[in-house]
Amino acid sequence: MPHLLLTILLALALALPAYAEVRELQWSDLVPPGAPPPPPPMAIHDLSQLADALAAEAGPGAAQQSPAEPVVEALDGVQVKLPGYIVPLDMSEEGRVIEFLLVPYFGACIHVPPPPSNQIVHATSELGVKVEQLYQPFWIEGPLRVEHSSSELAEAGYRMDAQKIYFYELD
Amino acid sequence: MFLLRLALASLNNRRFTALLTVFAIALSVCLLLAVERVRSEARASFASTISGTDLVVGARSGSVNLLLYSVFRIGNATNNIRWESFERFAEHPRVSWAIPISLGDSYRGYRVMGTSDAYFEHYRYGRKQPLQLAEGRAFAKDPFEVVLGAEVAEALRHKLDDQLVLAHGVATVSLVRHDDKPFRVVGILKRTGTPVDRTLHISLAGMEALHVDWQNGMPARGEARIDAEQARQLDLQPQQITAFLLGLNNRIATFTLQREINQHRGEPLLAILPGVALQELWSLMGTAEKALFVVSLFVVLTGLIGMLTAILTSLNERRREMAILRSVGARPWHIAGLLVLEAFSLALAGVLLGLALLYVAIAIAQGPLQSHYGLYLPMALPSAYEWMLLGSILLAGLVIGCVPAWRAYRQSLADGLSIRL
Repeated sequence: MPHLLLTILLALALALPAYAEVRELQWSDLVPPGAPPPPPPMAIHDLSQLADALAAEAGPGAAQQSPAEPVVEALDGVQVKLPGYIVPLDMSEEGRVIEFLLVPYFGACIHVPPPPSNQIVHATSELGVKVEQLYQPFWIEGPLRVEHSSSELAEAGYRMDAQKIYFYELD
Repeated sequence: MFLLRLALASLNNRRFTALLTVFAIALSVCLLLAVERVRSEARASFASTISGTDLVVGARSGSVNLLLYSVFRIGNATNNIRWESFERFAEHPRVSWAIPISLGDSYRGYRVMGTSDAYFEHYRYGRKQPLQLAEGRAFAKDPFEVVLGAEVAEALRHKLDDQLVLAHGVATVSLVRHDDKPFRVVGILKRTGTPVDRTLHISLAGMEALHVDWQNGMPARGEARIDAEQARQLDLQPQQITAFLLGLNNRIATFTLQREINQHRGEPLLAILPGVALQELWSLMGTAEKALFVVSLFVVLTGLIGMLTAILTSLNERRREMAILRSVGARPWHIAGLLVLEAFSLALAGVLLGLALLYVAIAIAQGPLQSHYGLYLPMALPSAYEWMLLGSILLAGLVIGCVPAWRAYRQSLADGLSIRL
């Protein structure tokens, strides 16, 4: 019995220092002190400039549509209704779309340029409309306003204060 | 009226079962309303976070992903973009303003965002409301200045002129800290109810200064270290940012510019319309929302069926009660009315208790929800939709009450007074 006790004590005495010697490391301790400084990092996106350099060779990019297409002046101030898809721009707290672009076809087609400026109506709505699905067409009804391009920056286009917005249904 | 009194008195006689039934209905009503409220408030807080921004531009990834990390501070960017790309589109003739955003660091779990003065000037939330300072000012020339969101200042009890040490990465408990370059609080923003509240804003120069002496993905050692004072002397022009927000002169040009950015030759960029990306996010979440709603509807149904079981089981025990009622002149339709009223009172009590439970739960959970998830649940009265839900539950209670009523009606005719006791 005393032998056993002694053995256990001895084993403990041998084992204990191993536990006591846990060394807390900082991540910087993993790098040898005399290590040479790392080489300066390479510039980010270094090769991305290549595309610019090659652009001259590649010819012009996909043609952009004119931003200031001609508009039908006679429509200014006319009460109209127009079907189209709603592209939400701003929403109210309740998640109703209060400002949107009305376009003739549902987005996502990237094979052709986006619709020209005379194929977009920039509409606002006081009450807003709940848009559950982007591919649901709507009728919007209200007075159309034609904006003129007075300068290079301001673009011509149609605006509407939508008074009525309702589902477009096939009949 | 006397029927209602009788029904209530009868219920009072069996109050333990009745209370349990009411409680089951109350719990299910509370669950249904809570699901509905969390859903609508989550949508509202998402919808009111960004307003007036026409395009969000970042490294090419997915539209929802880009929206989440750049505006909602959820998830992380896939890559940074070059400063030249930002400059190019910030100076584009169709662009009215541009806000650069640089992310990646944090402070005790709150994200740090590097940006410019344009952020305080042009960023809009809710219904085109600008950001306002509650105290102090926006950051200025000195790179080591920070403007806190309202939630950060409140939760961590920071005041103006406090010194903060930002951490590398976005973990709550961070091991690698930029402790040689403390930041000074110069401003605290007013509460907005958006992720802005949980963000620390520093200048792009500050973001650059934090990482100026990092080499090969780790902080510099020994001689190579650059302290805050030295960093102030350096040229802190950023080379890269994470994303940027654009406002246009004319919103009709949105598609044109979006296409131009997406086809930019310099580097792969992605431009998204925040409203469209938000709509996509909602149609993703819509399925989960519907599933939750259906589950909670079924829980309400279970509660109501529990009520039905309780009333039906009690019918047998109450033959004597019915017989006595009949003997004192109650007609069969009185008996039926009694049971319908009983079911209705149980449902009504359940709905009222459920509402009370909901408000207690909101009162308790409001603080933690706001600080952990950024979701603000107001103590508002039920919305029209919620009233409609409650009304339908009451109606369902009435309809379900007709089942025992019909049985009692039949039984009371058959049993009459001839029942063997």
